[in-house]
Amino acid sequence: MNPGTAKKYLVAGAVAFFLAASNRAQQSPLSHATDFTSEAYYEPPHEQQVKLRLSGAEASPLPGGLLEVKKLKVETFDTGGKPEVVVQAPQCTYAPLDGVASSAGHLELRTGDGKFRVEGDGFMWRQNESSLTISNRVRTTIAVDIFSDKKASL
Amino acid sequence: MKKMFYLLLAMTGGIGLAQTNAPAPQAAPRQPTEISSDSADFDLNIRRAVYRGHVLVVDPKVKMQCEWLVVDLPAAGGHLQSVNAETNVVIDFTDEKGQAYHVTAAKAVYDYKVEGSVTNETVTFTGSPKVESTESTIWSEPLVWDRAGNRFIFHNEIMKFRQNLNGGGTNALPVKLF
Repeated sequence: MNPGTAKKYLVAGAVAFFLAASNRAQQSPLSHATDFTSEAYYEPPHEQQVKLRLSGAEASPLPGGLLEVKKLKVETFDTGGKPEVVVQAPQCTYAPLDGVASSAGHLELRTGDGKFRVEGDGFMWRQNESSLTISNRVRTTIAVDIFSDKKASL
Repeated sequence: MKKMFYLLLAMTGGIGLAQTNAPAPQAAPRQPTEISSDSADFDLNIRRAVYRGHVLVVDPKVKMQCEWLVVDLPAAGGHLQSVNAETNVVIDFTDEKGQAYHVTAAKAVYDYKVEGSVTNETVTFTGSPKVESTESTIWSEPLVWDRAGNRFIFHNEIMKFRQNLNGGGTNALPVKLF
């Protein structure tokens, strides 16, 4: 990812979407943006490594300080740059102050190796608790033997 | 032995256990295990998945139903530690010889621990557990599968055989008694 491109459409509210609560103080008034991408980095000594990349097709402010994000994609990486988790949702609403993202729409979560995948309709993500609730039609696909000593993990 | 093995396979959702205990020729890639439910919670901090309502686990060799399923997912390189299935647990599977089994219990718990050089891996069925096949029905409270020891442990068991009580071969007990 070109750093210039990554920051081209930076939206502070969107950046805070899946970042740590400590970053919330840096939020600025929300504005509309399209095709945005944002990245968060690890603390030293891995400060050059991307920890999280968030992108979306559109981010729009809503009443009450909420943010509507379309075609959301969140990717997390380990300190070696290996993809860990990818989350995608066509649409969601983010409450920056609460660190909560929710939607009645579809959600898909999969590990970087694609061996663990969860999808469903209607979700709520609580950033502070790192917890995800899927309300309807949950389907998990596990393509790995998690009982053996050679595994992939969530 | 395969029959005993498949009981554990069934309880735990059957995620690849057959490959552990019964090496088979490397054939086609293993089909994935699918878990569906009405709703679910995922705690990424402790790697716990909680499935609620009409939980259905479909594995290439087994099918399990229950109303509540908790899976503690292993960390990278780790072994699955715990699986809990509760409320109307129903497991159906067929062994390699085509023998069908039907297991019911109120609760089933898979537990894996390594203490020193000793590995303890058990599945405990409670709440009127029952194993049915075309040959027999066995009740035991609790019913414990000691996977590390490769045996079933019955408590106050009741057994009902449908045919050839003293026979061996295909009519023998599907499990060892201790």
